Formats: sequence, C-alpha cells, structure tokens
Amino acid sequence: MAIPHLRDAAQPVPTGTDLRPEPGSFRDPANQVFHAGQDVLRALDETAAAHWRALAGSDFFPPLLATGKVCGTEELPPGTAPERWAAMLRHERIPFVSHPYEWSFAMLRDAALLHLEILRAALPAGFTTKDGSAYNLQWRGTDPIFIDVGSFAPLREGEPWAGYRQFCQTLLYPLLLNAHIGVDFQPWLRARIDGIEPDQMGRLFRGTRRLLPGVLTHVHLHGSVQRRNAGRSTAVVREQLRDAGYSRELALATVRGMEKLVRRLDHQPPESHWVDYQRTCGYSEDDRATKERFVTAALASAPRRRLVLDLGANDGRYARLAARHAGYVVAVEQDPAVVDRLYRTLRGEGERRILPLVMDLADPSPGGGWRGRERASFAARTGADTVLALALVHHLAIGRNVPLPEVISCLTALAAPGGRLVVEFVHPEDPMARRLLANKPDGIFPDYRRDAFEALLAAHGTVEQRLELPSGSRTLYQVALGG
Amino acid sequence: MKHLAYLDAGSGSLIVQAVVGGIAGVAVAAKLYWRRLVSRFRRQPTDQS
Repeated sequence: MAIPHLRDAAQPVPTGTDLRPEPGSFRDPANQVFHAGQDVLRALDETAAAHWRALAGSDFFPPLLATGKVCGTEELPPGTAPERWAAMLRHERIPFVSHPYEWSFAMLRDAALLHLEILRAALPAGFTTKDGSAYNLQWRGTDPIFIDVGSFAPLREGEPWAGYRQFCQTLLYPLLLNAHIGVDFQPWLRARIDGIEPDQMGRLFRGTRRLLPGVLTHVHLHGSVQRRNAGRSTAVVREQLRDAGYSRELALATVRGMEKLVRRLDHQPPESHWVDYQRTCGYSEDDRATKERFVTAALASAPRRRLVLDLGANDGRYARLAARHAGYVVAVEQDPAVVDRLYRTLRGEGERRILPLVMDLADPSPGGGWRGRERASFAARTGADTVLALALVHHLAIGRNVPLPEVISCLTALAAPGGRLVVEFVHPEDPMARRLLANKPDGIFPDYRRDAFEALLAAHGTVEQRLELPSGSRTLYQVALGG
Repeated sequence: MKHLAYLDAGSGSLIVQAVVGGIAGVAVAAKLYWRRLVSRFRRQPTDQS
C-alpha cells in the first residue's frame, strides 16, 4: 500500500536494543509504540496484527490514509517485530507532538470532529475504535491527524462505542465548558489526564444551563445512568443492550448526533489585551520593517532549518515569516483567545507548516500522567533549530519577576545543541518596559540592563548579529548557541 | 477478540448512548429497563418459594 506522508519509508529498521518504548503507550496491551532513531514504530500482538491486516484491506481505511486524516502507516517485513510481538508498523513522524491542553477551542473542536468522522467512516465497514481520547489526535500544522492506528478493531454487532465516555471527558466536556460558559478548558485537561468526569460537569451546569445543547443528555443523563449502573459490569450491560436490539445503525445515529452537536459549539472569546497587542505595542513602521529584515536574515542564514520555535507568537507575523525558511514552526502564545484566532486564520489560509499552541512560558506544560512521563513536558519535546523570542524577555523578566539569567537559560534550553537564538531586548526606558515597570516598586530590577543582558548572551554562545531598532529603545540579537 | 475492550467503557456510558441515538435508541433503552423490571418480578416468587 502506498503510504503518504511517511518519512523516508525506504530506511532500514533498527531492531532489538535500539527500540525505546514510548512512555505514553502502555494502556492497551495489544500494541506498543517504540522509537528507534527518528522512526516511530508500533508493535502489534497477534490479535492486533490480524485487526491491522483487516483494516489495511478494508474500503474505508486507505482513503483516510491517502487524505492524511490518519497518520501514514506501513507494515514492516516479517521478522522485524521484537519478541512477543507478531507484527511491526512504521508511522509517519509527527513534526511536533502536542497535548490537548495546549490547543485552542477551535483546535479541540476540529480534533473532535475528525475523531467522529473517522468513527462514522469505520462503523459501516464493520470497524470501531477501542477508545475515544483526545490523545488519539495530533497535528500537521493546522490539520488534525488521527494517530492511534492500534485503536481500530472489528465492531461487535449490537455494542455501543467503548470510547464514548473518554470522548465526552477529554473532548466533548471541555468544548461544552468553553462554548457554554466561557471557561477555558486547558487547565482542566492539563490537571486530569482522563479529562472531566460527568459528575464534575453536572455541578457546573445547574439550573437553566441544563437546557444548553448537549448538556441534559451527555452530561446529566450520562452521569445519572452511570451512577445507577455503577455496580453492573460492562459485559452484562453489553449483553442486555444487544438483547434489547442495539444496532450498528443506532451507533451511527449517535455519532452523527454528536457531530452535529460539536459542529454547533462555538466560542467567541472576549477581546483581551493580547488580541490587539500587535497594533498597540508601540512599534513604528520603521522599527517593524527593520525587525522583519533582521529576523528574515537570521532565519535564512541558519545552518539547520527543521524546526523553529516562535515564543510569544501573538498574531503569528514572525511565525509566518519563519515558515518561509523552515520546515516547521511551532508558535507558542499564552492567551487561548489569541491562539484560537491565529489557528482559524492559518487554517483558512491553508497554512500547513505552523502549529499554534497555548502555553504560558512562565508555567510551561509539565510532564503528566503516569510517573509524570506519560505526557512529556514541553521542555522534553523541544530542541528547535532556531528559537525566536521577540518582544518576550521583558514580559518574563519584569512582568513575571523571572531573573534575567533564568530567562536566558530557559530560552537557550529550548534550542537543540548548536541551535540559534533570535532575541529582542526591550530597554528599560522603552515605553512598553516602563509600563510594566510602573506596576513594580522602584529599583526592583537593577540587573535589567542591556549590558547585563549581553553578558548573559555571551555566556551562552556567540552573538553573531546585533541591531538596535531605529527608535533606539530595542535591540535584536542573533546568537549561535554553545561553543 | 481478546483485548478488544481494554478500556472500561462504563456501564452507564454504554446505556446512555442508546438514549442519545434518537427515538429508536430510546426504545432500546426502554426495552432494556423493562426487561430488567420484568426479570426482577419474575425472580421474586421463585425466591419466596
């Protein structure tokens, strides 16, 4: 089968001791993801291997692969699977792994819709997915991709979707929270790997909120039926449902209903300070043009251009610029409303090489799940060839009281060894810096000075380029890190 | 079909899917509850005897 998007499919497969188990892949004992060099591999037991072959031979699955909705997958020759496994798959490599609590509302909604679309395609063909987690999805720029190929299994007639509860907890409820009551879902998902429980949701949706779309059934009824049936095993209930006439058509109707509901959910965030930041942040046209030329030159001359990290990306002006010179750009911004706007714009433009993410750099995603390793921390996932930190340092150093040496250490640690940092220093006398300093006691940041900043940069690498913007209150640096 | 249901789907989460599936689904759920009720009454005399 021709596999689209699969990186260097002709590459030989490292085996045996080269395999590193993926810490987030252990819940389903039928398959296990491994890393080997740059390869992402999935080992399957005998049952899972049989399911994979049935899937590869089905009518619905190859089109999902061909359109990139499911991550590129091929089966490796017999004998490549390690002991105890029956078959081995190689997957397309996701350019940058992200977690649902780093996505904006529209991203989570599009991810949910793709999950449902895939299930709707699978059911008539006699397949289902064993689970329904938001972690089944990743991104190729602004395109969601279903990555959990091991989740497909033959449908057992008369059985509802085993992944429904997970879908509710990790996708539907977070969306309801944002769409119906304007509460950002990201902290909830970050705090609970299994998502939000129906009972917790029920407490937030009392009174007339019960009547909001999807709430009465998927939240309240779901919670109440769950409580009443807590003592009954799922095997018994499956049998009872089958006897009562539950059918594949009903399962399809449920999926269609959920698709309709999710498509209707929307969230228009209130205007925040950051949404209008580019217009209000006080750059002259001359400053802006000079800055763009500097950043372009730094990106175009970078020795490696696989991954660029744009920190404090705001409206994505520099992320877009970076995408012209790099393979992939991750645009990080703390305000979910700003990221949502950026995502919708990029998606509308058909931009497929910029991934916008919600994250506060002063509180980056920690490791999560089992032993804190099931979901890798942001720091463990980076290793960018170039880190852009434009109009950012003063927000961390003054706005968040992070000592300047710590700020520089953090920025350099996000780059791969030998990477490049493009950073802007806003002088203490700049209007934006003064606005931030006005909220703090006088003299609290004696080290927030250009000379101190330059000494720190020199300690982390070689300053290759330096340019003061025409306004005279901001300086840009291009730093080759290490050495 | 071992390992197919590695996840605890939740008994309530299975039943509620019938209800959200429309009128035909509600009928399935009603049938399930009716059968449970009937089987409870059927068992009782047997228990007493």
